[in-house]
Amino acid sequence: MLPYLVRRLVIAVPMLLGAVSIVFFALRILPGDPCVAMMGDQATTEALADCTKSLGLDRPLLVQYLDYLWRSVQFDFGTSLRQGYPVSEYIGRMFPHTLVLVMASAVVAALVGIPIGIVSALKRRNPLIDYPLRIFALLGLSMPVFWLGILLLIVFSLRLDLFPLIGGGDLDGVLAMIRSGEFLSHPADFLAGVGDVLYHLTLPALALGFTLAATVSRLSRSAMLEVISQDYIRTARAKGQLERAVVYKHAFRNMMVPLLTIIGLFVAIALTGTVLTETVFTRPGLGKMLVDAIGARDYPLAQGAITVFTMIIIIVNVVVDMLYAVVDPRITFK
Amino acid sequence: MNDRPVPLTVVLAADGSRCANHTPAETRSPSRPGSYHDERGKPMSSRCAPRWLLAAFLTILSVGGLVTPPPAEAQKKVVNIAAKEPDALDPHTSILGQTQAIVRFMYRGLTRFAIKNGKVTTAEVEPDLAESWTLSPDGTVWTFRLRKGVQFHKGFGEFTAEDVKFSFERQMNRTPGTRFGVNLEVIKAIEIVDPHTVQIALKAFDPIFLLRMVGYQQGYIVSKKAVERFGDQYKWNPVGTGPFYFDRHSPREKVVLKAFDKFTGGRPQIDEVQWFDVPEDATKLIGLEKGTFDLLYPEAVTADFADQVKKMGAVIDRRGPGSQERFYINMTKPPFDDIRVRRAFMHAIDRKAIKETLYPGDLGRVASSCLPDGYFGHIPMTFPEYNPEKARKLLTEAGLPNGFTIKNYFISKSFFYPKVLTLAQEQLRKVGIILELQVVEHATYHENIRKNLDPFVLYGGTRITDADPWLSLFFDSKEIPDPATGNKGTNFAHYRGIDDLLAAGRVERDVKKRAAIYAETQKRIERDLVCLPLSDVPGQWARNPKRVSTPFDPDYGEFSLHYSYNYPEMLKVLN
Repeated sequence: MLPYLVRRLVIAVPMLLGAVSIVFFALRILPGDPCVAMMGDQATTEALADCTKSLGLDRPLLVQYLDYLWRSVQFDFGTSLRQGYPVSEYIGRMFPHTLVLVMASAVVAALVGIPIGIVSALKRRNPLIDYPLRIFALLGLSMPVFWLGILLLIVFSLRLDLFPLIGGGDLDGVLAMIRSGEFLSHPADFLAGVGDVLYHLTLPALALGFTLAATVSRLSRSAMLEVISQDYIRTARAKGQLERAVVYKHAFRNMMVPLLTIIGLFVAIALTGTVLTETVFTRPGLGKMLVDAIGARDYPLAQGAITVFTMIIIIVNVVVDMLYAVVDPRITFK
Repeated sequence: MNDRPVPLTVVLAADGSRCANHTPAETRSPSRPGSYHDERGKPMSSRCAPRWLLAAFLTILSVGGLVTPPPAEAQKKVVNIAAKEPDALDPHTSILGQTQAIVRFMYRGLTRFAIKNGKVTTAEVEPDLAESWTLSPDGTVWTFRLRKGVQFHKGFGEFTAEDVKFSFERQMNRTPGTRFGVNLEVIKAIEIVDPHTVQIALKAFDPIFLLRMVGYQQGYIVSKKAVERFGDQYKWNPVGTGPFYFDRHSPREKVVLKAFDKFTGGRPQIDEVQWFDVPEDATKLIGLEKGTFDLLYPEAVTADFADQVKKMGAVIDRRGPGSQERFYINMTKPPFDDIRVRRAFMHAIDRKAIKETLYPGDLGRVASSCLPDGYFGHIPMTFPEYNPEKARKLLTEAGLPNGFTIKNYFISKSFFYPKVLTLAQEQLRKVGIILELQVVEHATYHENIRKNLDPFVLYGGTRITDADPWLSLFFDSKEIPDPATGNKGTNFAHYRGIDDLLAAGRVERDVKKRAAIYAETQKRIERDLVCLPLSDVPGQWARNPKRVSTPFDPDYGEFSLHYSYNYPEMLKVLN
């Protein structure tokens, strides 16, 4: 297993390098001058030239690229052109918010999507069950997270006053307590902090999770349909096993492999979904930060965020590949 | 990269919820672990706490909402503002509207817009950090007597002539990051006469010099000591003399300002301002109705937005002159090099319909001049009336009986641009001018219009409220964008017709004669048909009048620039 992991991680390096390089050049190819974006129409040509020089954008592209690579290797992504914060620290602050959102929405999507997919597949001949479940899936697919988010805010925050309107909770405080070990000496504070984070996370995770649950349920349904048409399922039934045992012992475990593949894709979809979710729920996070950075041509910030996104997707894919062997003993690492 | 990074020493702890706005990092008391207060300093109510517990459906049920806060906390007067996040708090470094709005809470200039008959006007200025001033007989040396005893925030000492000299020179020297040095190019030298007297020598007489000294963009005075101490980190360590001082910034969440006890005009009634980063107008509206926010700085005030504000009993504070949306027609680009085609274009555009669609009723006005109403020198201009028939006839006369097609017409996907262009596209189509729109990102749009890729350009903005900076920016031949020379100016009409008048206006000391000069510029622009103004849109903020009051009439009670409240210290919390 370890050699496999090492090999995968080694392969990940050129993948990351390729992605980072594409992003670097793509951002430069995009029309739009960061200095014009920052200085506006009152800037003189001389002032724009000064700005370009001070940001190092007057250097040949190759020099900028090599400089960027050299810094990146040292985990120095530079400073945000707009706000002046160090990119790595900035991303370090935003990343946990995005991570908990993706994880929480994954939980929602899995808890809602997988059972619906399984039930829908098993009860496909019962229109009273299958149709409503498929309609639910269609609803989730056709409902933009943005719209659903506003709806949830109006109902649960404005009308029922159950959830907060904005913010991400004191995740930073929680992490600080974990780092300092204070969570052991002040468990009540720590739990309150965790509760606060979850409290702020509920509506965004529901909004994003529900839209993703639709995809998960459809894919789970087709995975289950494929599995239950296999010979070994028929054999299990012929042996007289209980239907529950057939489903949970044989079918469910076998549908995990295609489902895991979905999870790899799912993370990428969820990361994209965080942009709108973070915007509508006014949560800090990487998604919205990235979009703003691209709009403002804040190259270091955009490059840093995309690098992190790429790393997440690579890591998730490696983990998923390794989990294949865990859920299916027929798969071995070679 | 010259900029040194600014350390992120802030806390990420924001919440706008009325019911359970506990932000442990801010309000958790070491002596009382787990006690939470809301953003107004009130304890989480017993009504709220069970909801919080219910809502979170967690096991950590017994820690919130148990303890009452100290009395001072409970009585704290907090104003919550929903806007976008500023990109810096150094007033000389950002062109963003939200940055310019927030820095007004912290900084002051030598002069300020005068309050006349209960209204704030942009036509006159009065002393602010300067007590008085004199002008030399030749009109080139201004001597400012500075107000004594004015204190900078956070113990940075008394405001003196050193700070004035430093504030202007850092911009004139184009210190990296500063943006507004161009507005101070008229200055030749700054001399400190004594700690409370400063003399500013100009290269030539400047009729709008006192306007340049208003607390806005280049006019703000920063603390020399603070800038020198913090260096590039001053961006997030602002020190001014305004009514509020900077407390902290939680990136992507909020900026917190606190009342400055030693503010020269007296301590503001508001104790704290929380400036939340809320990018979505829909979320802002929900927050206003819920009571999370007291003031909204919307991205755009649409009819729907205004209706919702009205329904919830809130008001919109309208501030002139605001922004103007207008077309500049590139008179060098065929077929628009033919004045008949430009006239046809103007006959084809139904300005009233565009204004009424985008800004019905009081939300905007049909623009009456290429120099907006509210700017010194403005006169009403006459434009070809909406008449598609005449437009078609003129196109025929110009040899274009079947009209023409503009391929790859670039337009920004942001703000008002796509809405205006979609309407204009339909109106132009009726006379045979086919626009093939390419909707692009805002930054790309700015790049493309400076490459002269669009034969006519839609543009908007607010500037110092005088004809000279406005007309110079958009009609001076020095501002013609040219990719070959790298000129990224904003004379999108490529107009050269008023250079002589602009030069004359800059040295004219007689106010009436200056006004006459700018009247003439507008007549020439009218004659040459290079600019078609569409709508004048006031600066608009939504306010909960039951929570926050302003002494000025919501309807144009103030004229202001990018900030809607000239005097944030006059805002009051009502309960």
